Amino acid sequence: MPRRGGGGGRVRNWKGDNDHFEHDDRTSTNNTRRVRFKSGAFNKGKNVLRNWHDAKLLLDDDIDMSGSGAKPNNFKSFRGRGGGGRVNSPAPRMHGMPKKKFIAGMLPWYQIIIPYGAKHEKETLLRTLLSHLSPEIFIPHYYKINGNAVHFYVDDVKIAEKLFHADRKITMPDGFRLVVIVRNAVPNVVIDAEMKEKMKLTMAKRYNATTKALDLTKFHADPDLTDIFCALFRPVIMLAAIDIIAENIPDLEALNLNDNKLHGTEHLKILSTKLKNLKILYMGDNRIPFIGSLDPFKSLPLVELYLKGNPLVNRFNDHEIYVSDVRKKFPKLVRLDGVDLPPAIGFDVVEDVTLPPRLQSFLVDQAGQDLVREFLTQYYAIYDSESRQPLLEAYHEHATMSMAANYLTNDNRNAVSNRLNSYITNSRNILRITERESRRRYLRNGRLQVVSFLSDLPKTAHDLMGFAVDLLVFTPSMIVLTMNGVFKETNSSNNPTRSFHRTFVIVPNSGGGFCIINDMLYITNTTKEQEDKAFSAGATEPTPAPAPAPALAPAPAAVPAPAAAEETQKVLLNMLSAQTGMNEHWSINCLQETGWDLQRALFIFQQLQSENKIPPEAFIK
Amino acid sequence: MSEVAVKNIDNACETAEEFTRVFYKQVDNSRHLTSKLYLDTGLLVWNGNGINGNDKIQKFLMDLPASNHMLKTLDAQPIAENLVSNKLTYLIQACGDVTYQTDDIKKPFQQTFLIVAVDGKWKIASDCFRLQVPYNS
Repeated sequence: MPRRGGGGGRVRNWKGDNDHFEHDDRTSTNNTRRVRFKSGAFNKGKNVLRNWHDAKLLLDDDIDMSGSGAKPNNFKSFRGRGGGGRVNSPAPRMHGMPKKKFIAGMLPWYQIIIPYGAKHEKETLLRTLLSHLSPEIFIPHYYKINGNAVHFYVDDVKIAEKLFHADRKITMPDGFRLVVIVRNAVPNVVIDAEMKEKMKLTMAKRYNATTKALDLTKFHADPDLTDIFCALFRPVIMLAAIDIIAENIPDLEALNLNDNKLHGTEHLKILSTKLKNLKILYMGDNRIPFIGSLDPFKSLPLVELYLKGNPLVNRFNDHEIYVSDVRKKFPKLVRLDGVDLPPAIGFDVVEDVTLPPRLQSFLVDQAGQDLVREFLTQYYAIYDSESRQPLLEAYHEHATMSMAANYLTNDNRNAVSNRLNSYITNSRNILRITERESRRRYLRNGRLQVVSFLSDLPKTAHDLMGFAVDLLVFTPSMIVLTMNGVFKETNSSNNPTRSFHRTFVIVPNSGGGFCIINDMLYITNTTKEQEDKAFSAGATEPTPAPAPAPALAPAPAAVPAPAAAEETQKVLLNMLSAQTGMNEHWSINCLQETGWDLQRALFIFQQLQSENKIPPEAFIK
Repeated sequence: MSEVAVKNIDNACETAEEFTRVFYKQVDNSRHLTSKLYLDTGLLVWNGNGINGNDKIQKFLMDLPASNHMLKTLDAQPIAENLVSNKLTYLIQACGDVTYQTDDIKKPFQQTFLIVAVDGKWKIASDCFRLQVPYNS
């Protein structure tokens, strides 16, 4: 089995027992050992297998097969196979002698380890290897000296195999044979700001602004990136690259990803949101396995696609079927693999159905605008303050309130700031809470319960400027409004932002103000987009609450204290005017006659209006 | 709370489950019939676009790309009957992911309905749909 890191076993041994290896490399001492080994336990396979795990024995016996990461159950596959392992051995081969066999790995990258390679100059060492492999040539990536050993990577399975078979074939000037260990391994990489900057500069060099084309062919082999492992077949690196492109050339039209050993494509779905104008995509000479691997690209408006040199192409015996299958996925395609396609006969259906543009607010009645704004400003001023207790005034005696919370589908729930524990434990998601008894319990009843529940939720600061408010019902007896927006938790570490959706059903209260009778709240995490834009428009903090908040507080009955009264009367006046459409003069009259009782004023207004007793001039502002 | 009020809470939840099942099935699979679920004078507010009346709602819905809604969170409350001419009325909040055929990407959405019982049928009086996106202007 091609275990990842085929040579792992040996490397481990080598690290543990340096001395043995050095000793072992001497050509003069090899023969006796081999003979002993061969005449030993080999045909009794099981004994050998037991020894397999004994590093010491392995080394003494100079067994090369361990380099293939052989597991006991694979043992048989090594018997009697030809291989280049031991050409130099003077001893005749015995039947069933296992040969060293190179097994290609899952990943296209191989780490080459040359123990004691550091004894030689880099130049000398590489020249020796290159001339041994001649006429093949290779680029040693990320050449590094690690203790006495030399490590580097190659990205070609053919070269890896040749190097594998070069093990102990090359005698260096000092009389030692060069040990070459080949493992199937990918260089490790951490994407940091420095790496991103390097990628960005390299991309800038490969970008053609006139054609809006970016050429990332064989990106990892770019001379400017030799010291980092920038292989685009690794999703993290590809996603970082896409981020850089989206940030700097969001209107990119052509992208060349030829020869990057791309295999998985699922993560590339993001291209269609990040690079909406991408029309030309080259992905030739990669390892894209199936026609289905193209699905993540389906929503790109591709007119040209290049796929030659991928396994998916070879799966089709019939080239025409291949072309037709690709076209099914990309109906706008006019060129595939460098060949112009004959025009397709389409259907006359409406294309490019787009979503209607979104608007920040909808008001069923313009007259409600000021009232809603005022109500929400005051409500959230208290809601975002140290104590939510004063909200008692904002709720109806028999108010009901419930909150549901849930994660976004793509939330990383391991990130501490994404955790919604303080909400989820009280969430009334009736898809989950199925017992009647619990459903009743999670619904808070009466203003005391409601406010005490709200007081226990994390402290917040809402982005009032970013609210989307929809006023759905606006009648004298009932107002329904829905809000969408974001808030910050002010007392939690890192002040995470959350997204919410909330509906208030508001009724006039007995004191001439308004109060909430139904409150339904949904809380989830913010999307990346929301987080980026949160608190970005104008004032970040809502204005401090006037205490007590006039719209919420009951209107003073008979003779209010002068200063506060004036303020309150102004608010009542605005509300009446907003709800009835009457001008200031008529509104004042109406309120004065009812002793500044808004509800009575509204009642009388409705009565008079239904009897057609209000003259038209009352509505002229 | 009175027994009637308690029963009404139970009923609101059960109606919400049934209603959302029917509603999203219609929207996703039989969009041409969806407007039947609205009152003749029903109101749809779609991402801030207000559409009044059953006919216009039907036309608006037909122009949206094909969709697939996946409900993840649901909540419901009864509305006091004295506010709504003594008609049984429920407030329903439905949240989840919606995928439109245009880009095939899951988008979180939140939707609030006010449904009212008229002649033995549940009808939508108002429907407020919002995608979860930034709304800063």
